[in-house]
Amino acid sequence: LGSVLARLTGSKVLTQEDLRPVLEDMKQHLMKKNVAKEIAEKICEGVEESLVGKRVGGFQSASHAFIGVRHYLMALIATNATVRQALSTSITRILTPKTSTDLLLSIRSKLSSPLSSTQLRLPYTIAFVGVNGVGKSTNLSKVCFWLIQNGLRVLIAACDTFRSGAVEQLRVHVRNLSMLGINGATDGKGRVELYERGYGKDAAGIAKEAIAFARDNDFDIVLIDTAGRMQDNEPLMRALAKLVSVNNPDKIIFVGEALVGNEAVDQLSKFDRALRDFSGLSGIGKGRGVDGMLVTKWDIVDDKVGAALSMTYVTGQPILFVGTGQTYTDLRQLRVANVVQAILSD
Amino acid sequence: MVLADLGRRLNAALSSLNRAPVVDEVVLDALLKEVCAALLESDVNVKLVSQLRQKVKTKVKATFETSGDKLKEANRKNVVQKAIFDELVHLVDPGVEPYKPKKGHPNVIMAVGLQGNGKTTTCTKLAVHYQKRGFKSCIVCADTFRAGAFDQTRQSATKAKVAYFGSYTETDPVAIAAQGVAKFKKEKFEVIIVDTSGRHKQESELFEEMVQIGHAVQPDMTVLVLDASIGQAAEAQSRAFKDSANFGAIIVTKMDGHAKGGGAISAVAATQTPIIFLGTGEHLTDLDRFAPQPFISKLLGFGDVQGLMEH
Ligand SMILES: Nc1nc2c(ncn2[C@@H]2O[C@H](COP(=O)(O)OP(=O)(O)OP(=O)(O)O)[C@@H](O)[C@H]2O)c(=O)[nH]1
Ligand SMILES: Nc1nc2c(ncn2[C@@H]2O[C@H](COP(=O)(O)OP(=O)(O)OP(=O)(O)O)[C@@H](O)[C@H]2O)c(=O)[nH]1
Ligand SMILES: [Mg+2]
Ligand SMILES: [Mg+2]
Repeated sequence: LGSVLARLTGSKVLTQEDLRPVLEDMKQHLMKKNVAKEIAEKICEGVEESLVGKRVGGFQSASHAFIGVRHYLMALIATNATVRQALSTSITRILTPKTSTDLLLSIRSKLSSPLSSTQLRLPYTIAFVGVNGVGKSTNLSKVCFWLIQNGLRVLIAACDTFRSGAVEQLRVHVRNLSMLGINGATDGKGRVELYERGYGKDAAGIAKEAIAFARDNDFDIVLIDTAGRMQDNEPLMRALAKLVSVNNPDKIIFVGEALVGNEAVDQLSKFDRALRDFSGLSGIGKGRGVDGMLVTKWDIVDDKVGAALSMTYVTGQPILFVGTGQTYTDLRQLRVANVVQAILSD
Repeated sequence: MVLADLGRRLNAALSSLNRAPVVDEVVLDALLKEVCAALLESDVNVKLVSQLRQKVKTKVKATFETSGDKLKEANRKNVVQKAIFDELVHLVDPGVEPYKPKKGHPNVIMAVGLQGNGKTTTCTKLAVHYQKRGFKSCIVCADTFRAGAFDQTRQSATKAKVAYFGSYTETDPVAIAAQGVAKFKKEKFEVIIVDTSGRHKQESELFEEMVQIGHAVQPDMTVLVLDASIGQAAEAQSRAFKDSANFGAIIVTKMDGHAKGGGAISAVAATQTPIIFLGTGEHLTDLDRFAPQPFISKLLGFGDVQGLMEH
């Protein structure tokens, strides 16, 4: 083999034909990793564009026909390696946040901004939105745990006034969180409270009351839990947009599952669009969209982490957190290199 | 659902088949490409899709070769159509009859599945469904893990006017399940539905707990509740649930959304277990019966596809 390698000194300009079979395999591979089909195709197109016309080394000149098969194989390996590199670069670029993911920094800068003597400080508000059962309430509680660990006072607003047990679910979390020892202190009493008005009420109104309550009682943050809803359900999407336009939260976090397949694209684009279209007071598309994502159930998908790629591709917004289990400490920051590795792995 | 959507796309693809003067490999490949694209967009497992493509090709080729020139062009088209449909049917219909609750007997149904897939909601829907058909129905909440789980069951069962059992203090789901089922059996309930916590294959203790609940309540039917939006993780998770809980039926939830449920279909194919209901909303009556046979017949009723079964 050594002598063969020694002769592989030629280089070649890559054509679409060279790339086609490799890219087809790559698309299949991405889909197996749970990247949505449409996104897998777009990524492959991007890789193709970046490579056609590029000169790659490691090819043998055609005159050595007697090692034709090896020649072919080596060419394939060289193409594969080049494509793999381009894919890795492309995925890394998609996943790398374009805006700050430092939530604490954003919170602290709002809380320390100067006020006039008559103004009351408004709390930092975060709304958690998404389809049914993805983990909004659970991960809201994990974010709450993290915030109180960082010395902040949190009010949870129970704005899912529809699903059975939604309010009690949050009450249990608040009870648990107040009992946990926080930063050396024996308990977290007074660090977290629940604001709830039971079931059947208007969510936007409860959020507004909660924010006023937080302002008057010196809470730093309001975490707004919302009911799950299907992205095509217009009345429910309008109601969510109303909550956004009435309360103008500092962050709107879309909660999505790592488990979700092709729906990732539809869910995110429709949540973003509906919020923009229906929450804008000054016309279609002028409202607020999704500011970032929280991807849950990361612990359930092994290395099939493609949904993270689909979600970031669709919105261009960063993944602020990933949920990796069912306890309060199962919340992580996305490690781009690990995700890239998982997607590329066989 | 994926097949309904496929029905429409297939129609378009098959009519292009009718327009083609000769059915050769190029035409077959183009048709298969369209079918596979639709399946992949609906989250059917990538491996299953390439298997389907391969099987259809092999079958069609074999028939073409054995019958040689005797096969008329029209018949060649039918061979292609039939091969595709047989494989699609194969995907969604394992040919297994699910358990049917019997009157006057304590039918125990246990719901299992991944976190947040709709078990608790579906348990109430099932209770309402059987109650309406004259079965005295009830729910046992054996989820001691999720915050507010018993409140959820209590509130939704109360809304649905079905009996329920659970505890705020007992922390052992196996104990609660056993107590609840024993109590309701004594009270001559006919459909006893046991709701369990969400779990996943990566945590073996959670699976062990499910096995123990199963031993304690001896279900007549275990149901895997599966979210329609699940992607490529469906196959491995459903296989693992099958191995541990040996479920006999699947219920696919959240079909009122945009999801096509191809992940759930992959679970059917991976576990050879039929879908019995589709969840179509958050309300108590949002449950549709599902049977593969009538569904497929209806699908085959689409335009050009009609008449296929006669061949
Ligand atoms: N394994 C795992 N389970 C999770 C994770 N996040 C949430 N869950 C579980 O998912 C289930 C649903 O979580 P919820 O927080 O109730 O979901 P939700 O989005 O608020 O649901 P709705 O309000 O009904 O729409 C619960 O059983 C959670 O414990 C995670 O990161 N990993
Ligand atoms: N749109 C829609 N929502 C559904 C359907 N079935 C369940 N849901 C919603 O999905 C969410 C989760 O449902 P649950 O019944 O709590 O799920 P679960 O499997 O019991 O969750 P865990 O016990 O935490 O594992 C809730 O918001 C339900 O209202 C359905 O068919 N359609
Ligand atoms: Mg919730
Ligand atoms: Mg439940």
